Amino acid sequence: MSAQTPSHQHLVRNVAIALAAALLLLWTVFPFFWILLTSLKGPGDMLSVPPKFVFSPTLDNYAALVMGEQRGQYSSTRPDFPLFFLNSIIISVGAVALSIVAGIPAAYALARFDFPLKSGLAFVLMSFRFVPFIAFVIPLYLLYQRLGLYNTHAGLIFAYQLITLPFTIWMLRSFFQEIPLEIQEAAKIDGCSWLGVLTKVILPLSMPGISVTVILGFIFCWNAFNYPLMLAGRQTFPVTVGAIQFISYEQVLWGQMAAATIVAALPQLVLSLMVQKYIVRGLTMGAVK
Amino acid sequence: MNTAQRRHHWRREAFLPYLLLAPALVLLAGMIYPFALGSYYSLTSYWLQYPKRFRFVWFDNYVNLVTEPLFASALEFTLGFTVAAVALQVGLGLAIALFLHGRIPGRGAIRALMLLPLMMPPVITALMWKIMMASTNAGILNHMLSFVGVDPINWFGSTGGAVASILIIDTWGNLPFVALILLGGLQALPNEPYEAARVDGAGTLAVLRYVTLPLLSPFIVLVVLFRTMDSLRIFDVIYATTLGGPNDATTNLHIMAYQYSFQWFQMGKGMAQAIVLLLIVVICSYLLMRLWNRASESTQ
Repeated sequence: MSAQTPSHQHLVRNVAIALAAALLLLWTVFPFFWILLTSLKGPGDMLSVPPKFVFSPTLDNYAALVMGEQRGQYSSTRPDFPLFFLNSIIISVGAVALSIVAGIPAAYALARFDFPLKSGLAFVLMSFRFVPFIAFVIPLYLLYQRLGLYNTHAGLIFAYQLITLPFTIWMLRSFFQEIPLEIQEAAKIDGCSWLGVLTKVILPLSMPGISVTVILGFIFCWNAFNYPLMLAGRQTFPVTVGAIQFISYEQVLWGQMAAATIVAALPQLVLSLMVQKYIVRGLTMGAVK
Repeated sequence: MNTAQRRHHWRREAFLPYLLLAPALVLLAGMIYPFALGSYYSLTSYWLQYPKRFRFVWFDNYVNLVTEPLFASALEFTLGFTVAAVALQVGLGLAIALFLHGRIPGRGAIRALMLLPLMMPPVITALMWKIMMASTNAGILNHMLSFVGVDPINWFGSTGGAVASILIIDTWGNLPFVALILLGGLQALPNEPYEAARVDGAGTLAVLRYVTLPLLSPFIVLVVLFRTMDSLRIFDVIYATTLGGPNDATTNLHIMAYQYSFQWFQMGKGMAQAIVLLLIVVICSYLLMRLWNRASESTQ
């Protein structure tokens, strides 16, 4: 029998596809798996050569994270991870709330009204997606020092508007535009004012879209690193800045850093799976649906 | 509705959008003001530790960049990294999209799992890889490479290793973005051109070259646009791994502006570098947006 028979070709093709799929899965998932393993290792297993896949797991790293305690003698520099976690929640919730409150009426105006400078304004908002953060953070740092906003939650919530406000307005606009105009006109004939149209028609009908925008905005705030790196201090660090505190001049606390990355990533990994249908739309600010 | 009422109604309609936009515009003004202030600082010798030396120096900070060796190497790394990252990620992303577009078992699961690297905080991604890229054989990546005969790589300590590691880490986080958008584009393509090509007896490669790629071009330009903008200003991954080293091999304009302003506190110079980076981003986005408009027009 020659190697060119159809069934043989078929088999080779299927094996190749299965291998490629396995490789893609390994590339995607292995880093998570490895960091999870690392976070469960004790100091003896951490730096063994070759790396260990089988060891007796310990929760010491997580305990150290929660207690804010650090093994060894450098306790003066210990990162306070529970505080960082709380900071992340406060700043992200605050930033998203402010953006939603300001963004809903703005998105309504951009979706449903015609006025001069409309497309210019939409473009300015879009361009914030591409601005290098350092161009804002240098003057913000200097202003915050003067105004007493440096190392405060309020200052960070305002700085995060650079991330969330343009995103919120563009996303909500694209969701509002999907509501048929006829429904709005019918409500107007029934005597609804613009406020009635907004609260009785637009908002209830776009509730799924608003939820998606809130969740994605929260994820983007949670992921933010460079604004808090410069504008926050030890009392207001979020988890992203907190996680790099495990690298100090004396040593890198690999185990605790691995545990910190798991804890820092967990909330947004869960949220991402909740809104997975909309992630591409969110990352392109509505350009791809 | 009589004429007077209608006129009243219209006048209110004309000013209503601005009322609705007011809160957002106030916040927006609060963002534009610091930027305007920073642009002014870029024309001064603002040095935080020496407030008495504050002078207006016109374009000195910009002109002096030409003779600054670090600027040349940072510009080179910024542009070179962007070209390499975009080519690598769009090429691999297209391959993955085409692969997943064929009926692969477990496609839904692979799609969902690919979202996870995409939504990770980039700095956390960098720390995860930093653990895996430990320079000795204790690092899992070097251990795995040893099976195919590669000697331990000094990932963050050598020039080539540092550039490669940043490219790998950035690709792990952003390849799913490219693949998922292109997969979405493939699934939205019309069926008719494919049927016509089949009638003409076109082979797989000919269909890819003359049907799929032209139809997909708006999506390809879109991912190139987003990936270019993000690669030009990559910061988090470099900060968490090499901090621009070794010997400034991975210092891009963003890291350079950060070092000038937040390590040496030369705010005027740092801000000038930030604005040069901003101009590069603006020019690239303008060119790519024009390309995108042309690509989407030609496929409609």
